[in-house]
Amino acid sequence: MTAGTQENAILEIHRLTKQFGGLVALDNVDLFLQTGEIRALIGPNGSGKTTVLNLVSGVYTPTRGSVFFKGRSVVNKRPHLLVKEGMKRTFQSARLFRDLTVLENVMVGLHGQTKGGLLGTVLSLPGIKKEEGMICDRAVKTLQFVGLHAQAKMLAKNLPYGQQRLLEIARALISNPSLLLLDEPAAGMNPSETSDLVTLLDRIRGRGTTVLLVEHDMNLVMEISDFVTVLNFGRKIAEGSPAEIQNNEEVIEAYLGKKARYA
Amino acid sequence: MSFKKGLPVKIPFYLAVAIVLAALPMLIRSNYWVGTLNLAIIYSIAVLGLNIILGLTGQLNIAQAAFWGIGAYTAALLNTRLGWPFWATFLVAPPTAAAFGVILGFPTLKLSGRYLAMATIGFGIIINLILNNWKEFTGGVDGIPGITSPVLGPFRFSTNGSFYYLALACLILAALTQVKIKNSRMGRAFQAIKDNELAAELSGVDTFKYRVVAFALCSAYGGMAGQLFAHRTKYVSAETFFIDMSILFICMLMIGGAGSVAGSIVGACLLTFIPEWLRFLQGPWAMAIFGLAIVVIMIFMPTGLAGLAKSVGSKMAVRLRPESQKEPAELPREASH
Amino acid sequence: MFDITTLAQFLVTGLAMGSVYALVALSFALLYKAVGILNFAVGESVMVPAFIVVILLSVLRLPFLPAYLIIIGVMVFFGAVFHRTVYHPLRGRPFISVLVSTIGASLFLRNTSLLVFGADPRVSPALFQVQSVNFFGVFVPPQYLLIITTLIILVVFQYWLFEKTLLGKKMQATAQDRDMARLLGIPVDTIILITFIYAAILGGIAGILLAPIFYVTSDMGFMFALKAFASSIAGGLGSIPGAIVGGLFIGVVELFCAAYISATYRDVFAFIILIAVLLLRPQGFFGEKVSEKV
Repeated sequence: MTAGTQENAILEIHRLTKQFGGLVALDNVDLFLQTGEIRALIGPNGSGKTTVLNLVSGVYTPTRGSVFFKGRSVVNKRPHLLVKEGMKRTFQSARLFRDLTVLENVMVGLHGQTKGGLLGTVLSLPGIKKEEGMICDRAVKTLQFVGLHAQAKMLAKNLPYGQQRLLEIARALISNPSLLLLDEPAAGMNPSETSDLVTLLDRIRGRGTTVLLVEHDMNLVMEISDFVTVLNFGRKIAEGSPAEIQNNEEVIEAYLGKKARYA
Repeated sequence: MSFKKGLPVKIPFYLAVAIVLAALPMLIRSNYWVGTLNLAIIYSIAVLGLNIILGLTGQLNIAQAAFWGIGAYTAALLNTRLGWPFWATFLVAPPTAAAFGVILGFPTLKLSGRYLAMATIGFGIIINLILNNWKEFTGGVDGIPGITSPVLGPFRFSTNGSFYYLALACLILAALTQVKIKNSRMGRAFQAIKDNELAAELSGVDTFKYRVVAFALCSAYGGMAGQLFAHRTKYVSAETFFIDMSILFICMLMIGGAGSVAGSIVGACLLTFIPEWLRFLQGPWAMAIFGLAIVVIMIFMPTGLAGLAKSVGSKMAVRLRPESQKEPAELPREASH
Repeated sequence: MFDITTLAQFLVTGLAMGSVYALVALSFALLYKAVGILNFAVGESVMVPAFIVVILLSVLRLPFLPAYLIIIGVMVFFGAVFHRTVYHPLRGRPFISVLVSTIGASLFLRNTSLLVFGADPRVSPALFQVQSVNFFGVFVPPQYLLIITTLIILVVFQYWLFEKTLLGKKMQATAQDRDMARLLGIPVDTIILITFIYAAILGGIAGILLAPIFYVTSDMGFMFALKAFASSIAGGLGSIPGAIVGGLFIGVVELFCAAYISATYRDVFAFIILIAVLLLRPQGFFGEKVSEKV
């Protein structure tokens, strides 16, 4: 399998450009994700990685270019609609609902796939009760999947940092997304937590979820990615398997500024 | 989590409360105090509305008194000009106020918190000025007198004592509805928006829709309170609906505990009764102390009395039953007040 | 009614009121820019000095200059106390907490002043003996000219302060990036305290200027606060020149609308402007759209 073929791509990014006033954050980036792959998006700080996630998830609108998710354009759609279509993401700084419990946080993740509204809630219709039960069960199972089951009743703000990142992932996973966008999930994790994360990502891939992973932790990237795309100054400078990228001179130069090799 | 959950005497407890509530007007002999109690109940309903938009959804609404006013005037006009009875104004006033809530909530969607607070102030002032000055329609400063007492079938609620039961029923309805909302998918969406709007949107919550709905609910509650008020005092005038009242509602909510249903009611009752009990604490004294109390509470007890009760309660629960802190096999759905 | 003299008179009056709004808006905008808070009690920082003017001049019969200096001193104290009690303990919290806290402070100050000074509107003696002065053919009360002149002097002073002095640069740095300022060795907490004091002094100046031409009551601050909000929003919430332009704009528009449309609804116009700006161009004249870092 080669990276970046356009056929049957679940996510297609064509000539994506994003300008903020005078600053060009992304410049003509192409990227194609195959269903079920884990793609790492790496590059020095400021290379535009998070901007890509923001454009794909509908938080920003592209200046130029297009993004297609499952064949449909995402441009100008409000983010919650994209969530309904099967896309989920996490954030660089864990954006949890701090005053809700861990369990409730995950339950919110299923909001786009459920319906319970005002009338049903107020009248305590049986359909609502059934749906609530289903949401709760799914949330419990998802917490078990990521290993946070014991903390279910804790308030999210009381979780240690590494577990907060896990909670974010759980909240994203509960809706069984086809595409999962992860923004530096390993940031702030110690080696043992990172190794657990690798296992988790592998199991996520096993469920058939496609993952676009922005990361700085090179060990994680090398271990888990199927393919790697490298950005620098908003442009794509390399794309290929982890081994190919490791030995790519332009990539090394972008990170280190002079000729050197990764250990 | 309420420490009440752990107590084995749940049903008898609620039964006792119900009996006390039912007998309250008889226990309080004075007509004046029952009248004050009625006022406290009506305020509680308005504060409950504020709890939805501010306590749950985290949007600062400094115009709740305007919706109260809209509800009151709608009831007053329909009753005195068209002869509509209580149950009819009861059905129309809250939705009318809710419509105005949407008028306020919808265009302000793109505004973040700071701007929203100011927009609500502006809205409240405009409504107040209109009610005060549009003589032909609202009677201007003179207001609208002559609203009739509620009559439901054979029951006439013209005394303070009888009105109490009507108001109490409305309060119970309002409170139970809110508890249901809080513990539902919708309630979680509201709280998610409060805690992190972007993350809520990216979890699938249509934040625009829910913010407007929160405004509509808040103003519906306010309108309901206003309608009850109109039929209780039988006279409305715009003097009462100025921004000070919106601020008073915020004080009641913050002191009672934003986010808590019980807190909203406790806060409203406290701030209605305290100035009455301590006569010398009327007017400016009361308000000055409330103002100081707000600052103190925001610093030391931002979750208000309800938050204080919760933390004391959970500490007590731990001490009373150390054995039962094992993780239950199944995770029950928590109902929080 | 539309002759040039009347129009000019209206304009000057509008500019005078607008200058006061600008001063209050400036106080408000400074705190917003420096520490990101909406100070609901900004009107009280005008009301309190106005009352003190009345006491010092009418009751104690002090001469003007010492009285004004005393008031500035009092406002320094006021700003420091306000900072320490209302803002400082809440500095990490979400902005709604601080806003509600300033609402509480405003409530407290308004009612305390009602208890201390009573409900009767007070008057302060006029600064000038003459009723009106011939200014380029237009007859205007000299106090108005004083107000406008004071604003001009203050704007110049403030420009010098922020752009040309070290203290001003430190204040700007703290406002723009607090952590960076700290790393550069700037005593951030002290700078913030100074900002609060400066904002209070601005309120004091507004109160001093207003006292001779306005009835001083304990809820006068309220309307000023609201119009300061409106001015700041119209001019652009993070913008200092915006606050000034916004204040002048609202002062003038309000006056002309009151004169030609309806005097009863006089106070409404500022809020119509407020809501219009919020709906059509929330960033105001000079504000920049600040995008949240995601």
